[in-house]
Amino acid sequence: MTLLYLALGTAFGFVLSRSGAADYGYIQAMFLFQDFQLYGIIGTAVALTAPGLWLIKRRGRTAGGRRIEIELKSLNRGTMVGGALFGVGWSIAGMCPGPIFVNIGEGKVYALAALAGALVGAGAFGAIYARLQSWFGLPPLALSPSKR
Amino acid sequence: MGLILTHMPPLHWAVAGAGIAAITLCLQWLANRRLGISSGFEDVCSFIFPVLYFQRSSVRSGRTWRLPFVIGLLMGGFLSAALSGGWTPTWELGMLDTLLGLSPSGKLAWMFVGGLFIGFGTRLAGGCTSGHGIFGLSNFELASLVATISFMASGIVTTQFLYRVVLHWQS
Repeated sequence: MTLLYLALGTAFGFVLSRSGAADYGYIQAMFLFQDFQLYGIIGTAVALTAPGLWLIKRRGRTAGGRRIEIELKSLNRGTMVGGALFGVGWSIAGMCPGPIFVNIGEGKVYALAALAGALVGAGAFGAIYARLQSWFGLPPLALSPSKR
Repeated sequence: MGLILTHMPPLHWAVAGAGIAAITLCLQWLANRRLGISSGFEDVCSFIFPVLYFQRSSVRSGRTWRLPFVIGLLMGGFLSAALSGGWTPTWELGMLDTLLGLSPSGKLAWMFVGGLFIGFGTRLAGGCTSGHGIFGLSNFELASLVATISFMASGIVTTQFLYRVVLHWQS
């Protein structure tokens, strides 16, 4: 399975790299309404993934026969506030999370700083989770029994 | 307009979108995994920060697939560069270089600040462009619609302000 994930990740990274989704200029052109490229990519991806997912869920089984399980995202006050904060970061860095890794692979040195920032940001979130939980109505931590 | 990496036009958007859809569906159909990349930050954090939040069962069980997937993203970027005239480290930033001309250390600081917002924001929102924007919207999840509208609107406002007001960019 690890090889499958590596292969799918590599294919995903290659497409992001060659499509403009991991390109600082194309991200700004999207937000400046100067170029349709990124809107076309996201729109096409959703328009094709939606019916595909519907079929997979209707069939109810993976290729290997396991029951399809999809963990749904929770909606709370953090969804909107977090989305807005992420949008600021996406605009500044010209990268969303996947393209951070793709840009590093491409050899764009500055992307290493974006990764460092993202890890510190995520780390800070984890460190103050208990406080954020009550402010934003976030779900309780689901800890594995061994670590409880 | 060309890519910073290749100085060539990108793949057609319909081809790229179809490729992303195919990979997303493969992940779900072959491996029963929901596409999502920003949770990968938690996987990496779980090795670095001794915080209870990163010891959740979903992080511990997700590491086995998200870490190889993220390493794949690095390899995909590397392959793309290697196949387009060779891999070389670069500091090029396209239109930001034209308008602002930051030094390398300035670019590192710029990107670090952007990264802070990305890391904290995606964790608070519970996902990013992939988990909310592509998978969540395709799965008709209300949280994903809220998050996607929110980060698109905020990205538009930030870039419009930065480029039109601060940097005096003209189309």
